[in-house]
Amino acid sequence: MSVLSNLLIPAVLFFALGFVARVIKSDLRFPQDLSKILSIYLLMAIGLHGGYELGKADLGLAFIAIIWALVLGFTLPVLGYLMLVATGRVDRMNAAAIAAHYGSVSAGTFLTAIAYLDNLSISYESYPVIMLAVMESPAIIVGLLLASWSRQRIAAQQSGGAAGVSLNLPGEDSSSSLKSLLHEAFTNGSVVLLIGSMLIGAVSAPGSMEKLFPFIDDIFMGFLCMFLFEMGMEAGRRIKEFKKVGPILVGFGIVMPLVGGLIGVAVGVWALGLSEGGATLVAVLAASASYIAVPPAMRLAVPESNPSFYLTLALGITFPFNVVIGIPLYHALVQQLMA
Amino acid sequence: MHRLFPEKLVNIITSDHLEDTLVRVVRRRGASGYTIVRARGAGSSGEQSGMLSVDTNIKMHIIMSEEKLEGLLDDLDSMIRRGYHLTVYVSDVSVLYPEKFESGF
Repeated sequence: MSVLSNLLIPAVLFFALGFVARVIKSDLRFPQDLSKILSIYLLMAIGLHGGYELGKADLGLAFIAIIWALVLGFTLPVLGYLMLVATGRVDRMNAAAIAAHYGSVSAGTFLTAIAYLDNLSISYESYPVIMLAVMESPAIIVGLLLASWSRQRIAAQQSGGAAGVSLNLPGEDSSSSLKSLLHEAFTNGSVVLLIGSMLIGAVSAPGSMEKLFPFIDDIFMGFLCMFLFEMGMEAGRRIKEFKKVGPILVGFGIVMPLVGGLIGVAVGVWALGLSEGGATLVAVLAASASYIAVPPAMRLAVPESNPSFYLTLALGITFPFNVVIGIPLYHALVQQLMA
Repeated sequence: MHRLFPEKLVNIITSDHLEDTLVRVVRRRGASGYTIVRARGAGSSGEQSGMLSVDTNIKMHIIMSEEKLEGLLDDLDSMIRRGYHLTVYVSDVSVLYPEKFESGF
């Protein structure tokens, strides 16, 4: 029963409460912009905290962590794409868009993992925070490449169907369209906020950072509870879409985080040699699916894909799966490997 | 009794991520301006609750003359054929001052 008791932390319980509130059709609703404010706060706090710790950390290992974050960000979407196409039931455009979500990361899952580790008094390194920032964008680029490759293949199959090869919007040529998509990938609000906060945390005088501790540490778990409460409602709202999404995609939403988690455990334990806590966080990064940076990019760049597929997968299936089952599982796996 | 002049009102409902693209298109087609309101609802893209930045919709209003309308509809049509989820409808409206809708912004 220890696994269950590890889950009895307020953040996870509030996630469950939000989920239940939706399922029983409670009229409980957050004001419209609250969850956006909460995610800004959480990214700022985690960035400042990570940057402050990173200022004291080994920059060589930080560099290696960035390299591995890039490797994960570029390979996981390709893996996911191949898995989806191999089922023979998912068309290539949706496969590309969905796969991109799984190469990127979910800050909400990462923060839940931090709450989980804090509850068990397990310490962790600051390197996973920088990986969180780095892993937001590469998957978007891979998703775009997979999509444009798929688009060409589909056009080649439908002879004479050259329409749809170009992605140009009215009034744009192809180079400016690609440029604006890459611009979108790297200037996404959450990327700028996270990396900016890390730099501020790293270069600020330690004394002035300590004044911020009430903001970034003391009230952090409370805001995380509110955020997960709302995320629970979002997940609960999406279960009615399961039928539309179909069993293959629902299955992918559970199998893909397991595959990513396994790879993440290996990277955290062997490639980076992190502690129990740090390796668990890397596994969570590799297992999680983005619902902040990737969906808008896919909406712009892969309009052929259906947003309700990838949002249902990321928010309705993979996020709850990781929060309830994934995090303790990856942690147990890390413990096994280290024992 | 006021004198009224006929114009076309173009309504577009879509994801707020397409706002910048649509503004570019509207500007290029010589509209005199546009109004955007935040919207939520459900449709082919699933429920758009407006709670997260990934599921917020917008509704865009553009008033323009019938001559300029065709060009704008061409661009919107080519976006829809490319797969973008746009809900577009056009209605007849009457305005007090037609010169307000003549020059671009």
